[in-house]
Amino acid sequence: MRESKTRAPIFAGLLASAAFIALSAPGYAEDTFKIGVIAEVQAVAGSSIPQAAQLAADEINAAGGVNGKKIEIVTYDNHSSAAESVRAFQRAVNEDHVNAVIASYISEVVLALEPWAGRLKTVMITPGAASDVITQNIAKDYDNLKYTFHGYLTSTSLADSTCAAAKDLLVGQLHMKSAVVMSEDAAWTTPLDTEYLKCLPNAGLNILDHIRFSPDTTDFTPIFNKIEGEKPDVMITGISHVGVQPTVQWKQQEVPIPMLGISSQATNSSFWNDTNGATEGVLYQAVSGPDVAVTPKTLPFVKAFKAKFGNFPSYCGYTSYDEVYYLADAFKRAGSGDSDKLVTALEATDYVGTIGRIQFKAKGDPNPHALKVGPDTITGLMLQWQDGKQTNLWPAKVANGKLKFPKFIKVGAAN
Amino acid sequence: MGTCRVSVVFWQILVDGFAVSSLYALGAMGFALIFGVSGVLNLSHGALMVVAVVAAWAAGNDLHDDPYTGALIGIGAGFVATMITYFVIVGPLQRTQKIREEEKEIFILTGTLLWGIMIQEFIAYLYTNNAKTVAPIVNGVMSIVGVRTPKNELFTAIVCWLVIGGLWLLVNRTRAGKAVLAASMNPRGVTLLGIELSRIYIAIWAIYGLLVGVAGVLLGMFLGVSSYSVGPLTASAFSIVVLGGLGSVSGALIAAYVVGYLETITAYLISPAYRTIPALLLLIVVMYLRPRGFLGRR
Amino acid sequence: MRLSSTIRILLVGLVVVALASFLPFAVSGYVLGLLTIAYYFGVFAMAWDLLFGFAGEVNFGPTFLIGTGAYTAGILDNLYQPPIWLCVVAGTLAAVAGGVILALPALRVRGPYFGLTTLVAVLMLQNYVVVDASLTGGEIGLTVPDVITISDAKNYELALWFMAFSAAILFSLSRSPVGLILQASGQDAVQAGALGFNVTKHKLFAFIVSALFSGLAGALMVFYLGSASVGTFIDITVGVQIIIAAVLGGRRTILGGVLGAVFIIAMAEALRPIGDLANFVVFTMALVVVLLFPSGFFGLLTRTKEGG
Repeated sequence: MRESKTRAPIFAGLLASAAFIALSAPGYAEDTFKIGVIAEVQAVAGSSIPQAAQLAADEINAAGGVNGKKIEIVTYDNHSSAAESVRAFQRAVNEDHVNAVIASYISEVVLALEPWAGRLKTVMITPGAASDVITQNIAKDYDNLKYTFHGYLTSTSLADSTCAAAKDLLVGQLHMKSAVVMSEDAAWTTPLDTEYLKCLPNAGLNILDHIRFSPDTTDFTPIFNKIEGEKPDVMITGISHVGVQPTVQWKQQEVPIPMLGISSQATNSSFWNDTNGATEGVLYQAVSGPDVAVTPKTLPFVKAFKAKFGNFPSYCGYTSYDEVYYLADAFKRAGSGDSDKLVTALEATDYVGTIGRIQFKAKGDPNPHALKVGPDTITGLMLQWQDGKQTNLWPAKVANGKLKFPKFIKVGAAN
Repeated sequence: MGTCRVSVVFWQILVDGFAVSSLYALGAMGFALIFGVSGVLNLSHGALMVVAVVAAWAAGNDLHDDPYTGALIGIGAGFVATMITYFVIVGPLQRTQKIREEEKEIFILTGTLLWGIMIQEFIAYLYTNNAKTVAPIVNGVMSIVGVRTPKNELFTAIVCWLVIGGLWLLVNRTRAGKAVLAASMNPRGVTLLGIELSRIYIAIWAIYGLLVGVAGVLLGMFLGVSSYSVGPLTASAFSIVVLGGLGSVSGALIAAYVVGYLETITAYLISPAYRTIPALLLLIVVMYLRPRGFLGRR
Repeated sequence: MRLSSTIRILLVGLVVVALASFLPFAVSGYVLGLLTIAYYFGVFAMAWDLLFGFAGEVNFGPTFLIGTGAYTAGILDNLYQPPIWLCVVAGTLAAVAGGVILALPALRVRGPYFGLTTLVAVLMLQNYVVVDASLTGGEIGLTVPDVITISDAKNYELALWFMAFSAAILFSLSRSPVGLILQASGQDAVQAGALGFNVTKHKLFAFIVSALFSGLAGALMVFYLGSASVGTFIDITVGVQIIIAAVLGGRRTILGGVLGAVFIIAMAEALRPIGDLANFVVFTMALVVVLLFPSGFFGLLTRTKEGG
């Protein structure tokens, strides 16, 4: 007779669960511009995204808002997962009726969201993903994918910025001649490495080897030993998933070759503590640094961020802060939150933010909606960890220190 | 020139592989012990090691403790987390009447798996999921057969072998150890001898907790971990133990060196990107040809 | 008696599903999106329960089958853009092939050994996807050009009826003589063999059926999400969530998997306000259920003694 008992409870169970999630009523408010922020809140780099966005919104609202409307930030934690991000994106658009979305620093996540931005016709800007594929997709299918904007440098631009700095610092100052490229085996490093292999020789560094290693690598000893055997003057890095471990092991093994390049984790102010100081002497590319006045807006932002949240922003913090500002600017010029008008307005963006002057590449470029890079727009920086501080060395006009290496590094001895 | 380079690589593989393998051995030892004595596969193994690392790291960074105190705090945290695992999850599941005996294994697997993920989430919540390393007790480098080796690497290998040796003495030379050994062979027989099985379990979990703490702190000094390492650490201990033969501690020891050297050789001679693949292939081959592993009891 | 109870439960289920099919008129598109995912996860959990609850195989690698189906379908669509149904069929067939490969060691080794084999299978697939990035999109993931539909309501109905269909077949199977033989051979393979049942044949069959539904659901989900990535379809944590859904819902009940999946997704959503700790709380609740109510929700709801 057990079946007679089963009926009602199953029923109730299913319906209760359905009712449970139906409870979250849609918030509708016409008197605000809503920006959804989908971010990796648990990661050091991602945690700055919603914080910086909120800071920008608070400042804009305190100054009277946009066309009399306030900016509202709605944050979603995606737990670094593409599927959760798709869910969050759907929720942001269908449930919370956001006007635009700022999403993620992971290329995988942004690429999964890109078609959804098109399907749901909602503007999306990434503050930190690097893959060139994001903008290459827009070139292939502009009409459907034009809602995505790349608010951070592409891998190719990152490589160019690194090469330009390497030319001045390594070749110009230290007379280095050779390099080994060392990157994690990931999709974002494919265009990065391709560009490295082109621009490093042009900068005057002969490439002796090109090593790609698994992002799951925990023991870097074999890699460092192999590189050391090839006797290059410098290691050019392309790392993001890994960071703490290669840096600590580099120091422990006293590998006598300096590291310079992209090392996303090194941009975090907590990196010194995470590596117990092993990062001393590491050179890394960035679009911003805590004491670097890239533009007049940079230092006030850093100060306000530090005052409010107690730590320095990650690299995505700067871009996320700027994105809210130029989104607000685009809202103003578009006159409404309508997505197509917003796309047109964003394409005309010319805004000086914390990382430089923001302009997007136009339709017809191989990378439409990517940031323009160069002396007039964004140059990027080359910083070095020195005595617990991130010191900027390049470009010269915003430099606040000189190259300095720990004792175990042999620089110039070979020359 | 050519032969010189070859011999340098040979010695590098020999030296580096040894340290990594010793660490694998120590990490897998406790896991093998617990399975051998109580038939429990603890899938929160990796999480417990990560607890030890993060506690040692936090002690150094937040409390500014010196490396020795930090290491002790790490070992203590690993021990406490392990004992919680036993008293809150494994013990109650072993004793419960609600689950049939033949299904308990499954429940312990699921329960410890959940517990491991809970720890992982909580650590990510407290300290983000970025990798952490523990400040090493010994710094600097030295030359071993012409290979520049961090002293910390040598320290790691020595401590691993001291602990493994201590464990061997404990099991083979003390009364309590012999009781444990007997329990692993015939639990019912031990009960008949008047030794309470539950006390043996507690003793063995306490030993396991210390092993986890030491292995975790050493791992944190040598390679570093993040909350993402929870799964891979468990999987690696699991593979080593199966390769060696479930329940065989000496089998796990041999397997740790086989896996450690296989990975190091792959990383040096083929590509660091394929590091883990040959060991996985070996595991599959062994499972097909000799499912009970190198030294497994049948 | 047993047959009639099966039919009655199926009828009750049909009524629930029919009622649930009216949800698009009542709730927002977002809730539908959540339930769509929950239903696909429900199918994953039911397929897993058939292997675990009945055939007694500890399969840590449900995502090996799901990932094979999802990626085969996605890669095919990405390369040649054939009709979507063709991609789905191809994905399903690939998953079945994967099921047979997985079954081979299962027929030789038991318990934890088999569990490890499945874990290794997942790691191998994951390594392959990351290494062969030109075909699979690597760690960044694969974006497929086509989706079935962007309508929330249509996606929801498709997932709902697909889940109902899978549930009906898997549940009936579990209550059929085949299910009983599976259960017997799961508990004591030697005895089941001595009674004259062909244990090997039945186990292989269970693997094929489980793989079929896992692969089919995986392939359909690719064309719902519009992308495939390791983190969505293959990663061990996805497998863990499936296992938790099945155990929470109640092992050896098949239908419990759907309840567990809906519960996990609903809880994660309801706990969104507490932010980072949401997942932690969901896993804690799952652990409490495992410790205190080992027969799961379905066991609590039906109030029948486990194994009685």
